[in-house]
Amino acid sequence: MKTVEKVINPVRRAGEQSPGKIYDEKLKVRRRREWRGVKDTFYDYTRWLYLMSVLGRFIVVPRNIKGFFKYRWMMSYLFVPHGMDKFTIGLRDEALRIAHTSFNFVIADVTKAIGNCFRGDRRVGNDKAYSDKCVITDENSMVTFMMGFDTDKVHTILREVPTMFASNIFHQFNVMHYLDVAQLNGIPGDVCPMPEAEAGISIDDDFCVLGSCAVQNNTTCDGSLMGNGIIAKRLEREYGIPTFQLATPLRHKEPDVLEYAAEEIKKAIAFVEEHTGEKWDWDIYFAAAKRVNYATKCRIAQMEINSTPYPQFFGATFSLYNDTNYMGNSGRVPDFVDIDRKLLSLAEKGYKAKRMYAKEYRHRAIVWGVQPQYTIDMLYWMVQCWGVVPLTDMLSVINTDMIAEEDTPENREQAYRDMAMLNMEMIMRNHTHGGYKVLLDDLWELCEKMNADMVMMWEHMSCKALTGMHGMFEEQARERGIHIMWVSHDLCDPRVFTRGAIRDQVSNYMRTVMREEPLDPTLENIPDNNAW
Amino acid sequence: MRDLKHLQYFEDLLQVANNALIKQAKEEGKVCIAYTCENVPEPLVNLPGTFSIRLHAPNTGSMDIATYYMTNLLCEPSRALLERAIEGGFNFADCVITPDGCTMMNRAVENMELLNTMGKGNPNFFHEYMEIAFKNTENDVNLSVLQCKNHILKPLHEKYGIDISDAAIRKTVEDHNRLCRMIQSIGDFRKEEKPRITGYEFHVLCLASYVCPKHLIMGKLEGTLEELKTREPVEKPYRARVLVVGSEMDDSGYIKLVEECGAYVCCDRFCFGSYPGRTEITLNDDEDALTQVCRHYIQNCHCPRMMSMDKVYGRKQYVADLARQYKADGIIYEQVKFCDPWAYERMLGSSMLQHDFGYPVLSVDRPYNIASSVGQMRTRVQAFVESIEIKKLQRGGKKA
Repeated sequence: MKTVEKVINPVRRAGEQSPGKIYDEKLKVRRRREWRGVKDTFYDYTRWLYLMSVLGRFIVVPRNIKGFFKYRWMMSYLFVPHGMDKFTIGLRDEALRIAHTSFNFVIADVTKAIGNCFRGDRRVGNDKAYSDKCVITDENSMVTFMMGFDTDKVHTILREVPTMFASNIFHQFNVMHYLDVAQLNGIPGDVCPMPEAEAGISIDDDFCVLGSCAVQNNTTCDGSLMGNGIIAKRLEREYGIPTFQLATPLRHKEPDVLEYAAEEIKKAIAFVEEHTGEKWDWDIYFAAAKRVNYATKCRIAQMEINSTPYPQFFGATFSLYNDTNYMGNSGRVPDFVDIDRKLLSLAEKGYKAKRMYAKEYRHRAIVWGVQPQYTIDMLYWMVQCWGVVPLTDMLSVINTDMIAEEDTPENREQAYRDMAMLNMEMIMRNHTHGGYKVLLDDLWELCEKMNADMVMMWEHMSCKALTGMHGMFEEQARERGIHIMWVSHDLCDPRVFTRGAIRDQVSNYMRTVMREEPLDPTLENIPDNNAW
Repeated sequence: MRDLKHLQYFEDLLQVANNALIKQAKEEGKVCIAYTCENVPEPLVNLPGTFSIRLHAPNTGSMDIATYYMTNLLCEPSRALLERAIEGGFNFADCVITPDGCTMMNRAVENMELLNTMGKGNPNFFHEYMEIAFKNTENDVNLSVLQCKNHILKPLHEKYGIDISDAAIRKTVEDHNRLCRMIQSIGDFRKEEKPRITGYEFHVLCLASYVCPKHLIMGKLEGTLEELKTREPVEKPYRARVLVVGSEMDDSGYIKLVEECGAYVCCDRFCFGSYPGRTEITLNDDEDALTQVCRHYIQNCHCPRMMSMDKVYGRKQYVADLARQYKADGIIYEQVKFCDPWAYERMLGSSMLQHDFGYPVLSVDRPYNIASSVGQMRTRVQAFVESIEIKKLQRGGKKA
């Protein structure tokens, strides 16, 4: 079997040495906040204050208070600080700053999105003029088709992000009600809970109602595609909001699908123009394209840093930021550029200082598969508890090609193909669909490139694209001498796999297969199954 | 009713995937094209010198090995096909063409490819995967034409020297239409008040047309049609007429079970069924045959994978139209367990057919091989038949 050299941290980390001790089942989560040494605890506290200020500024708006009491999913608003804290376990120095910089930005962005939803919502703010300039789209959708619209004039509302995706991050039980609604109405429990919950929210009529039109996408899987019909029926027939289905080919590596995909992008743009009355602007598009390329360059640099013995980008917060930037932003908002720059600068600083985030790095792991790590502090836990360093995850391994960024007649045609390519290569589907090579071969290449000896394989039990290759993963990992650690979960339904049950699978593997003891035994069993 | 003369013959053909007629067609020197989805345009895989077989795995029992490769969370048809392929049950195939229709079937075939389950000793053997249309637009027709050229016609011509000319396609469409007319003519007897063919018998005949070389069954189908013209129906054959709608169905035992519960399956709208798969293709001389075939398959596709809302609503309207045409008292929406597309389609379809169109609907999931779960299904169908009868009584015997 492949092995990697252990890296021992020569420096004693400041503050708490056994963060598992602060968890207390009776108190729901923790007895107190983690002590990270004076400097980092103070920094962490200032970021907590910043979060509170974001939340405070949101809730003082009267329509937001109305929305808060109107929608069940808004309960998650109360748990945002905890959501942040669960992603900073054991972090110090640059890693702590990377987590806060990236995730606080995401939180501010989502808070803004909720505010926008409430502003246009017919049941809350009912700002019709604003709503008429809104285009609603899916949670897991790439918004390249909006790259050429002025963000001050046309508003892209990823309506499902605050309602389902983010609310589930901050409160693990938040979408269970919607899953139950969907299942009570006849959708089986074996489909992916994410589109199922979204369908449940629609059945429960708990989405904000706004927008001049909606663009749906066959984003990641059959379930995601099929859930659209249920949502679109309500939008069209009850609320009179026209929907456009942006078809995105699945076999995205085949050159003979590109023209089709580009044509679909053109149609989506025409649809938005027709319903918002606003025109596509090539200057705006190419400015956004430059930002997309800058984000791509940063991502490549991040991967290079993580290929070294001193990786700096860890965990869910970073992955979430990448999701938001790559898909939800797609170069439209300039603010992301500064954050990209800051994150890279922090990582370079940490790398130069050979900063480590655990006592010891024993294994280098690629995290593959569809992850629930947004609702659980898994990746930080792995490195702190077992010394398994998560080098990157499947959802962060996305496009590395540059797109045309100069405005020329040829590039305007090329732009449609670029948008189509990005659309096809959106997060998750770029590996779960498009043939087995993007799922299997890409993984082994990544293991080689990043010098990984282990794969932590998230087995999302309702993701058929992943589980359909279970045996092949096993066999090919064996041939290559890569340890493959299966960790089952059911994405956003904690009734199927609790946080503890998820972590136990790693602990069992590390003890029984790897014959290792934890770096920090206090973290092995954290009583947080009932935490938010 | 008297037994159909050729029913036993057709039933026997359905007992194994590698049936006697496949062997016979291969001995004639024809190339066997295996495929896995209704979105493959059938005439293109039945060009002169070829014949198509839609893969199925009759009498499936254990799926242990396939379950190792794909886990028990994938739909049973996909696992059953992989299991059968690993057992060597599909070694007759000279190539496999798979549209990326549903993820699970696609993964099943990818596993077959990675495990080298087929094509041993055949240097020309190939696997091809196709992108298929999502909507009913000319852009989708263009996509479909390109995909069929690149992933069906070109490899067939290059590997096996098959004639892929416009004339060859037109000839195949003629043969295809002849078969469709035959199946539809037989199926029309189901519209009668006292039908002279059971739903089970019809399903056997229709299923054979997918899993046997077509040219070798035409004679017996014609004979059956003639026989039906003079067949005497039974006096009181059923308690309720039902239309069965749903996912992949190559298990005639399911239809038999439904009919044993007192229902009559008056129409079928599922993969391997006569709707929409046995609908004639009309060609004109103004446009090339390939484009017209692709357009036909897109316009007549009722697979839930078609995502545009005209298709979403159209699928329910299509079911309602069939129910009206075949005088169905109720509709059974079935979904093979773990099928994602039909999980959602069944929910929306059963709701809309009930609330928007006023039909009683039974919504069920089922195993691939109904023999593994007879009791539960029987109870559900019996209750459904009773509920239809009660509704009839409450409405004074008028249609529910």
